Amino acid sequence: MRLVTAVVKPFKLDAVKEALQAYDVHGMTVSEVRGFGRQRGHTEVYRGAEYTVDFVPKVRIEVVTEDADAESVAEVIVAAARTDRIGDGKVWITPVDALIRVRTGERGSDAL
Amino acid sequence: MSRGQKLVVLTVLTFIALCIVGAQFSGHNGDAAGTQTGTISDYQTATNPPDVQPGTDVPLSQAGINQLANEAGHLRISVNFTWLLMTGYLVLFMQVGFALLVTGLTRAKNAGHMMMMNIASFAIALIAYFAVGFAFHFGGVAPVANLGGLGPLSGIFPHGNAGLIGTHGFFLQSGHGYDVGVLAMFLFQVVFMETAGYIIIGAIAERISFAGFILAEVAMGAVIYPIYGNWVWGGGFLAHIGQSMHLGHGAVDFAGSGVVHGTGGWAALALAVILGPRVGKFNKDGTPNAFPGHNLGYVVVGTLVLVFGWMGFNPGSTFGATDLRISVVAVNTLLSGCFGTVTAMAWTNAKWGKPDISMTCNGMLAGLVAVTAPCAFIAPWAACIIGIVAGFLVCYGVWFFDHVAHVDDPCGAISVHGVCGMWGVLSVGIFADGTYGDKWNGVNGTVKGLLYGDVGQLGAQVVHAVVGMAWAFGITYLIFKVAGRFMQLRVSESAELEGLDFSEFGSVCYPDFVVVTTSGSGHAPGHSVADARPIEPALMTRPGTVAGTEPDGSAV
Repeated sequence: MRLVTAVVKPFKLDAVKEALQAYDVHGMTVSEVRGFGRQRGHTEVYRGAEYTVDFVPKVRIEVVTEDADAESVAEVIVAAARTDRIGDGKVWITPVDALIRVRTGERGSDAL
Repeated sequence: MSRGQKLVVLTVLTFIALCIVGAQFSGHNGDAAGTQTGTISDYQTATNPPDVQPGTDVPLSQAGINQLANEAGHLRISVNFTWLLMTGYLVLFMQVGFALLVTGLTRAKNAGHMMMMNIASFAIALIAYFAVGFAFHFGGVAPVANLGGLGPLSGIFPHGNAGLIGTHGFFLQSGHGYDVGVLAMFLFQVVFMETAGYIIIGAIAERISFAGFILAEVAMGAVIYPIYGNWVWGGGFLAHIGQSMHLGHGAVDFAGSGVVHGTGGWAALALAVILGPRVGKFNKDGTPNAFPGHNLGYVVVGTLVLVFGWMGFNPGSTFGATDLRISVVAVNTLLSGCFGTVTAMAWTNAKWGKPDISMTCNGMLAGLVAVTAPCAFIAPWAACIIGIVAGFLVCYGVWFFDHVAHVDDPCGAISVHGVCGMWGVLSVGIFADGTYGDKWNGVNGTVKGLLYGDVGQLGAQVVHAVVGMAWAFGITYLIFKVAGRFMQLRVSESAELEGLDFSEFGSVCYPDFVVVTTSGSGHAPGHSVADARPIEPALMTRPGTVAGTEPDGSAV
């Protein structure tokens, strides 16, 4: 079992969701987050004084998959979320020790 | 039948029923055109003279004519009372606009504190004005012809051209103050005082202690505003410098660019200076950091509500709808406000590359504030120029207090109300065109400015502007310097960082959201927001959404 986590531009959420559904992924978790990577924040002027937005709004998408599917799922997300502009985000894969469906108590692949 | 069919049948039946009603009853109207309502029969119903048959003729006798004149006089004052009260209610509504404006311009962690100040200022300042402020202000204003004379308000100290303070009408009782005219006047004037009372909120926001704030409102309602108001509007010495020093018509301030907005703005300056800037507002080298307001929607809606209220503020200041100058006043007010808006929009766009939303709103208010004193005395073209100048002044003012004077004014109150109020006062002495204001302040002839040949009027306006600034700044500074020895005027630094909602009132405005503060560009060493802990744990109702999320090697 693997956890694929992606942090992408908020307006790319729909594109990623549709691509993952087309790939037959059954579920995902989405949260609104803030952060910065290599693009850093950006500077704006408010009433004549400058300010920096250090943490840019992003969307974090989490998908749990079979070991074999993780790479492909990550590829699907990368393809859907790419704009070729700085600040597109990251995708990473981590191992998952256990997975349990709350309603039934099923474990492992059955819980996917 | 399906629901759709039922709807069609119901619609057809309604249509048929309405056609039957129309056919059956057309031609059986009451006074549908309104031409038969309000005639001699209403006059007689109201006054019922004994020697006349109801519904026939008014007797051609002195008694009959006197009856008619009484009725006309009563009607005139009734119309004026209605106008005065309705415009007063409009001015009252401005409090809503201001609450939205200043809350939108400040940070979410202080939103409850901002709203609380707006509701508290209303009640506290009103009570202070009721107790003593109104008497100090208008205790000697009589006669006011549009409101039936206001005879009871005839006490001023000292008499003659040197009036300093009114003496009738304490608690709306003393000096026969319990009177319909006096109370109508009170309603209209107390909402003006409220305006000066809430202007200061813009400059003391996000750091004043609630106790300090209550003192400010009591002082504004009882002393700061009423006494200066007496000098200009209540028959005091500034109103008489036309007679005593031959300076035009004396200090002329139609609806209060100086009396209301100037007083509020300069008192706000004194308070902002005494309180000092918010934590992290200025870097060590003096450059300002921006604390973006948390809801620009509030700012825009609030500004538009204020524009609406201004349609009572200025035209209402005729004290009567029988003065038909009200149309000129209203149109001049809108013209100046809109030219101020466009000017601020253009200026911020030219200077920073984008039009600034909140400065555009400040530009609207700047134009409105500036035209408040001259609106009755000027032609429309002059209102446009006054608005344009005000739009520039407010932009430069905000820049000046941020970058040069280093006075922290979160909402631009000093620039909008103080600076543009002063410009409004002076503009009367420049643009007044001599079409209005005969016998203003007891001086024969209409009010004329510099461009129409009366230099003296400009002199009177300069005196008004300078004395107004000196009084409002001076007395406020004095009161709070003394009070600061006995009480805490400002909240603690930790309370300020946490947000005043929680530390001052124990509840937050937005409990369902994580309040995240956008930091200023405070990367300079020392006292900057970047060093400050952004949020206390108590406010973290939904943790885990702030952490850095792009682990590309650079830790967040």
